[in-house]
Amino acid sequence: MSPAPSSIPALAIEALEAGYEPGLLIVRGASLQIQPGEIFAILGPNGAGKSSLVKAVAGLVPVSKGRIWLNGKDITRTPAHQMVFQGLAFVPQTDNVFVNLSVAENLELATAIVKANRRERVEPVYAMFPDLQRQRALLAGQLSGGQRQMLALARALIARPRLLILDEPSAGLSPKLVAQVFSKLREVRDSGVTVLLVEQNVKAALALADRAAVLVEGRERIVADCAELLGDERIAELYLGRHTGRQVVKANT
Amino acid sequence: MFQIIADGLIIGSVISLGAIGLSLTLSIVRFSNFSHGELLGWGAYLALMASTALTTINARLGTPIAPFSFGWGLLAAAVVAAALTAVLALALDTILFKRLRQRGAITLVIASFGAALALRNLLLFWQGGVPQYFSQNLQIAIPLLPRSQWGGLRVTPDQVFVLVLTLATVTGLHLFLRYSTLGRSMRATAINPGLARVTGIDPERILRATWLIGGVLAAVAGVFAGITVQLRPTMGVDLLLPLFAAVILGGIGSIWGAVLGGLIVGLAESVSVNVVGAEYRSAAAFAVLVMILMVRPTGLFGEKH
Repeated sequence: MSPAPSSIPALAIEALEAGYEPGLLIVRGASLQIQPGEIFAILGPNGAGKSSLVKAVAGLVPVSKGRIWLNGKDITRTPAHQMVFQGLAFVPQTDNVFVNLSVAENLELATAIVKANRRERVEPVYAMFPDLQRQRALLAGQLSGGQRQMLALARALIARPRLLILDEPSAGLSPKLVAQVFSKLREVRDSGVTVLLVEQNVKAALALADRAAVLVEGRERIVADCAELLGDERIAELYLGRHTGRQVVKANT
Repeated sequence: MFQIIADGLIIGSVISLGAIGLSLTLSIVRFSNFSHGELLGWGAYLALMASTALTTINARLGTPIAPFSFGWGLLAAAVVAAALTAVLALALDTILFKRLRQRGAITLVIASFGAALALRNLLLFWQGGVPQYFSQNLQIAIPLLPRSQWGGLRVTPDQVFVLVLTLATVTGLHLFLRYSTLGRSMRATAINPGLARVTGIDPERILRATWLIGGVLAAVAGVFAGITVQLRPTMGVDLLLPLFAAVILGGIGSIWGAVLGGLIVGLAESVSVNVVGAEYRSAAAFAVLVMILMVRPTGLFGEKH
């Protein structure tokens, strides 16, 4: 059953079950609705299935049950390489740039794949990421961690997605770089793109996102506005571990 | 001295072209295809068949283009053979490798051994074991250096043709991989197949392109081997180990690495034939391989992943 057309979510996940091997489920019945124009964070302890959930949405992890709708269209069985043509762009956590291609080649390839005009697509991205324009002749493998993350984000934006999914964009970055990446994500959202991200960095994620879900053992346990979650003792005690949780609550109150 | 180098470069050209295809399969399809050598053999024999057919239709096509030993018929036949060998490579993938891809690289490698045996024996059954030639015309080698200087240097126009065309083919392939969308997609898939998929690159399309290009290059290498040496049904298996040596020497996935690796293996073979005897030819190529890998375990142009 498709969601009602009057309030089509940017992404709807319904009772999703997914895993790399048959019989070994990592995502166990997760359901979520991401509204157009919001930044939505998926949080949860290690091994909760956060990455597998977004990878299943992107077509990278086999789905065994449940449904996924993108802007009201069923994409449950859409292969990963066709997602970009449906308006979904995915930024993996690691290895998210082609290290053997130059910065420019990374962006030009993404443009050519969606058969778009190079100048029309690459120039606005350079305007948003001036550092990349300066380093366009460098091999992507020579970039620093922060610049690589920016290139990965830029590469995903070339396709002009309606939904941008990022798997732990802050992984391995210093707090200063996390702030830079997250400020770009706000810009992306302000340009009308819905953003869904998986995060380990709870504090930064709650400060960035509008709403968040806490995933435990492959299912969402709490879905709420980030403002509410900041002071929610349940996160601290039940899902993120007492110690981390207290720190989160303290740091944000 | 110069003669040994020249001979090495000619053998090396054939090895280089074959090695590029093997290297592409290794880095994109991700397994060691032991049937790749047979594609060289099939390419050469298909060209022989096409050439015979063309000259039967029009005898003028068999007239040698001076100063070479072969006529326009063989050049046209080489194009036909390249297309047919590409289709053969793609058919092998569709019938055999595609079905086994989920089972892992070891299964594919063993399957490729089986495919190699089948292809080689089909060729033997079809063509017989007697060596054949594209042309019965004898070529007079042109002396470039007299025997008194460095032992002299003599090359045939055919050998120069092979060298020049190898260089042109490799340059063309380099430009294709560097600047075309399909070429860039192939490089992207080789380094990071997962990211290639989320970028919108259809992995099956890239695999098909890889088999087609590998098949074309194998056929060209086979025709060159036929022009400069002779055609034998075992030419594929004889070239297989040098091909692997060249790929590993140059670094898996690198086009120029495969070319340089091919030339080094060719030179090593040529030197050994003249210094220690033809029977140690392969041993010499592998001695060089071992020495280079001890210094650079990823090969000359290999990248650490």
